[in-house]
Amino acid sequence: MADDLLAIHDLRTYFYTEDGLVKAVDGVSFKIKKGEVLGVVGESGCGKSITAMSILKLIDPPGKIISGDVIFEGINLIELKEDDIRKIRGASISVIFQEPMTSLNPVFTIGDQIGEAIMLHQDLDKVNARKKAIEMLKTVGIPRADEVVDEYPHELSGGMRQRAMIAMAISCNPKLLIADEPTTALDVTIQAQILELMRNLKNDLGSSVMLITHDLGVVAEMADYVIVMYAGKIVEEAEVVELFKNAKHPYTIGLLQSKPVIMRDEDRLNSIPGQVPNPLHMPSGCYFHPRCSHAMDICRESQPELKEVCEGHKAACWLYEGVI
Amino acid sequence: MPGTITKRGEMMRQYITRRLIQMIPILIGISILLFFILQLAPGDIFSTMMNPHMTAEMKEELRHQLHLDQPAYIQYFYWVQGVLKGDFGDSFYFKQPVTRVINTYIWNSFLLSLVSFILSVIISIPIGVISATRQYSRFDYFFTVVALIGISIPSFYFGLLLIKWFSVDLKLFPVSGMMTPGVNFVGMEKAADILYHMALPCIVLTLSSVAGLMRYTRSSMLEVIRQDYIKTARAKGLRERVVIYKHALRNAMIPVITIFGMWLPGLFSGAIITESIFNWPGIGPIELLAVNNRDYPLLMGINLILALLTLLGNLIADITYALVDPRIRLK
Amino acid sequence: MEAKSIEDVRELATEDIMSPWKLAWRRLKKNKLAMLGLYILAIMVLLSVVGPLVSPYTMEQMDLSNIQSPPSLAHPMGTDEVGRDVMTRLFYAGRISLSVGLFAVVISVVIGSVLGGIAGYYGGFIDSLIMRIVDIFMSFPFLPLLITIAAVMSDWKVPPQYRMFVVMILIGILSWPGLARIVRGQILSLREQEFMQAAEALGIRDRRKIFRHLLPNTYASIIVSATLDLGSAILTESSLSFLGLGVTPPTPSWGQMVQVARDLYTLQMQPWLWIPPGICIFLTVMAINLFGDGLRDALDPRLKR
Ligand SMILES: Nc1ncnc2c1ncn2[C@@H]1O[C@H](COP(=O)(O)OP(=O)(O)O)[C@@H](O)[C@H]1O
Ligand code: SF4
Ligand SMILES: [Mg+2]
Repeated sequence: MADDLLAIHDLRTYFYTEDGLVKAVDGVSFKIKKGEVLGVVGESGCGKSITAMSILKLIDPPGKIISGDVIFEGINLIELKEDDIRKIRGASISVIFQEPMTSLNPVFTIGDQIGEAIMLHQDLDKVNARKKAIEMLKTVGIPRADEVVDEYPHELSGGMRQRAMIAMAISCNPKLLIADEPTTALDVTIQAQILELMRNLKNDLGSSVMLITHDLGVVAEMADYVIVMYAGKIVEEAEVVELFKNAKHPYTIGLLQSKPVIMRDEDRLNSIPGQVPNPLHMPSGCYFHPRCSHAMDICRESQPELKEVCEGHKAACWLYEGVI
Repeated sequence: MPGTITKRGEMMRQYITRRLIQMIPILIGISILLFFILQLAPGDIFSTMMNPHMTAEMKEELRHQLHLDQPAYIQYFYWVQGVLKGDFGDSFYFKQPVTRVINTYIWNSFLLSLVSFILSVIISIPIGVISATRQYSRFDYFFTVVALIGISIPSFYFGLLLIKWFSVDLKLFPVSGMMTPGVNFVGMEKAADILYHMALPCIVLTLSSVAGLMRYTRSSMLEVIRQDYIKTARAKGLRERVVIYKHALRNAMIPVITIFGMWLPGLFSGAIITESIFNWPGIGPIELLAVNNRDYPLLMGINLILALLTLLGNLIADITYALVDPRIRLK
Repeated sequence: MEAKSIEDVRELATEDIMSPWKLAWRRLKKNKLAMLGLYILAIMVLLSVVGPLVSPYTMEQMDLSNIQSPPSLAHPMGTDEVGRDVMTRLFYAGRISLSVGLFAVVISVVIGSVLGGIAGYYGGFIDSLIMRIVDIFMSFPFLPLLITIAAVMSDWKVPPQYRMFVVMILIGILSWPGLARIVRGQILSLREQEFMQAAEALGIRDRRKIFRHLLPNTYASIIVSATLDLGSAILTESSLSFLGLGVTPPTPSWGQMVQVARDLYTLQMQPWLWIPPGICIFLTVMAINLFGDGLRDALDPRLKR
């Protein structure tokens, strides 16, 4: 489709660990439209980050992208050579990571780190890259930008560092911005500021955003379309309003019911009874059945497929088999 | 920012001063320790240094002159007083001031240690980095084995094996010494002659330090390449070479630098055995000579110098550390 | 279903709490290099213990009609300058070298963990005092200090058969500071943890707190560094004895047996006298290093290098 920026089809990324095979991403397909904000939600460990990093082929051993297509502006990124995909990383697709404390290199100044990407992708010299870096720092609302540019990461607060990360990510006008839990590590008030900033930037730049979070509050505020992941698979997807109004999958319903206002992830983990399955020993049938209060015999035996349950709304659950 | 730089420069100066002051009590501790260890020896020098021409009165006289008739702690203060004036006493064996003896030999030790130190750094860092980036590859396994051999083989034994194979059997290198005796080379020829004599002892010293440094660089690098900021660097689209040699290496070297600082003086004192096996005219054979002849003033002098070098090495390491790691607060 | 998940939890819990040692042993057994080290070490110990018993010669039995003879059937490693069987002496030397190393490490572990534990637990003045002493020891070049003390002790005219005790005590006393630092660091971080605060709430007395609750949690790192220290202690003993400042004749030790090679003639013409003891030191230390590295990986997979 013409207005699709990114289309992922049947992506599988596995880890061959010493203890056994971990199917971190196991047959995931989705699309991101131009200018759209896609929310990706799910408990920690369900494969959100690995999905995102697979898009840029940034998977370290023992992980490996087994199969799938990642079509970005008509090009299959999975088939690109290292030298070619490097030209996309940080330029057309850039990433904001979760931990502002550890995502910036401690021994280089903020300016060096932002300027590096600018020089690489925009063909600017050092002086102009620095000017641009200061400008970007101003754009993301960092006060004293012309001083901060020469400071080291440890001299900035968490919120400021995350702003610097965002400045770095948007410095080359990316078409797709992957934000992997950009606010999880921040204080509540800072979280709101960063989200506000991202919303404004997104509108100004017209980029698409893949927003990964386990905070449904963030999704409700920011996303246009939502996919819900569980144990490496998509279990439900719909437009944001539809999903919140009319959640189908018991897992999503569980997430929604347990949705307190804004909380840290430790609390959230206990919100649905039971534990995330051990990736080395996945349950049979529907991966969610040990924790599902609607589980039926068939759920223990075979796996439900992701199917349309009503218009523009898909779920992978035996409860809706034959609904449409 | 020029402002920040001068501020940091000023802080650095204060830091160094503070560290130098902190060294004083440690040095005092070391000198006390050393002095009283020697007091544990039964009798005094005159029971070991026998001179048939000396009468009992002359001995008494000398004892008095050297303050040996005073209690140990008083002797210590006399000794410290001398040391502070740069007077370490006279060597019994060489019949010369200790400082002159040390000065004669220490530069040879410096030469040997420095060359093998530089070689170790040049060899071990690249190998450590490549081993880390290709963990569990054949390259990695090969050098793991080399490192294992390097830390497990006693240096005296390795030295003897080299002498047997390369000097005695193959006659490729000289058995010992630092220069060919009886020949007066000058200029480049002299340098070449020294290098020729230095080769084997240098290999012994280098192998043992390469082994440790290599492993250390490797593990530090492995630790760093797992960090989030390395992922950030890759996500920026940087070349792998830049990611490894700029972003990762700079961080990985921070702990390694500390080790370097401790290594240099360690190499120096570790060279004692190697030097004496190859008869390299450095501080090592002299220390053993002092030990075997119970030449206590010389022994004290050498030990004190080695301790001072160790402390200085640590200080230099800490300063370098503070220079490369902007997070270090110069408290 | 309910019951199953509780069982799962219990299984998980027992695996985590009850058997870290068993788990470590299982991991260790999978590590081929570590097991190789263990086997070599076992062989070395076995030879040193059993060798002298089965050998037809005794350690000091001389045969002046058969001196400096190269390896033969009767003397598989030849004889030395007074006609003693080299192989038999090698077995005995193994006993000496291994036990000196072992007891030196025991001494340094005891001193190091007690002082490190006290420093880490009490903090404040006691901590600074102990750590300053550690600093002094650590900023002193190890070998020169050792040589100096060994020389001084030689003047005490200790009978040769007791020299080995002097050597082990000496190495032990000089090697504890590294361990003290490790233990102190561990105790400091453990003290911050919850279970210690719980112990505090129960009002457990200080001494018991250190020895019953905190030290056991540092066993893993103590064991790992003690193992690796054993290798260095054996190397140190061999160097010292090689220099004539350690174990002295007629008691043999591996390092001391290599000493004969300082004579160029022996070096060249009688390799059977000095090559085997050197190989013994090398193999033993290498085996210990292999095993120690494996132990570290097994006891704390996070430290895996
Ligand atoms: N380096 C790795 N080695 C082994 N397994 C990994 C590794 N990285 C991630 N995984 C597995 O992939 C799964 C998904 O991880 P991730 O995508 O980071 O989850 P999240 O949804 O919290 O972002 C996890 O369950 C984890 O077990
Ligand atoms: S398929 Fe069955 S177990 Fe899985 S979510 Fe639906 S009802 Fe629950
Ligand atoms: Mg994640």
